[in-house]
Amino acid sequence: MSTQELFNSIQHSTVSASLTHLNHLFGAVAQLTHITGLVLLLTSIVLVNLRLLGVGLTGYSVIDLAKSTRRFIWIGLALLAISGLFIFLPAATIYYINPFFWIKVELLIAAVIVQLTLFRWVTTKDHPSPVLAKSTAVLSLVLWFGVGASGRIIGYLN
Amino acid sequence: MSLIGFAQVLYDSEIGTAIRESLFVFPFIEGTHLLTLSISVGLIALVDLRLVGLFFRDTPASQLIRQLRPWLLGGFAVQFVTGLLLFWSLATKVIELPVFWLKLAVILLAGINLLWFELKLARNIGEWDSQQIPPKAVRFAGWASLGFWIVVVISGRLIPYLQY
Repeated sequence: MSTQELFNSIQHSTVSASLTHLNHLFGAVAQLTHITGLVLLLTSIVLVNLRLLGVGLTGYSVIDLAKSTRRFIWIGLALLAISGLFIFLPAATIYYINPFFWIKVELLIAAVIVQLTLFRWVTTKDHPSPVLAKSTAVLSLVLWFGVGASGRIIGYLN
Repeated sequence: MSLIGFAQVLYDSEIGTAIRESLFVFPFIEGTHLLTLSISVGLIALVDLRLVGLFFRDTPASQLIRQLRPWLLGGFAVQFVTGLLLFWSLATKVIELPVFWLKLAVILLAGINLLWFELKLARNIGEWDSQQIPPKAVRFAGWASLGFWIVVVISGRLIPYLQY
């Protein structure tokens, strides 16, 4: 089955059909949940990365700040994923043909990989080299805000 | 000049029209307005969580506020400027929406709450700075702030939703 056929069958599945016929208010709730997850995730990312850049909450060590915000990052991602699913399912074929949907998917995969590898590694070291810390921060910020920006652009092209 | 008259002037202006009919500028301004939530509302929520004693409890509240202040100010400044430009381009449309006025009213309430905090409660911050659970009045200000900004974000999201 091609990807297009897959998206087609997703959109016309029983689950999606029932979602489509729900009240429009439901769509608004899904989007607001998406925004909530977005703020939880991005605020945490901003805080830790600013710290890696040597500014912001300098009263904390990088390790402590990363540890404190970790739960917000994962709660945020969970809310984003669940609400994202509700947004995606009833209109899968519309997203399929939207180039920025695919850009977002690629950036998201990259962001999560960096989050679980480089970011996690740098934020658990006592004294990361300044160059490593700063480049990790920049990369993390660019990727995550890139996900957010491309997500917003999807809406403009739909 | 009436409100509608003023809104019409903004809407018809060169800047308002240019923004509204642009391919990239409007999306850029609106996208920035959205993503900057992480620096404005996100950071203020963090301070509020400290004030209600739910987060960063071992940090003196004054230290948290002091270190985040420049980022909060910058974040809200961007929020304000992008919001102003959005209003400029859509003035006549949004003034018809009750949810827009709700958003402005609650922003005003949040501002009053902030003033009350700064002028009255932060005066003797030394007394409760290191307390994990600050005094009742401080917690009230924290919860109020959280509540207000949640309503602001929800009503903000509903503006484009109810516009069409």
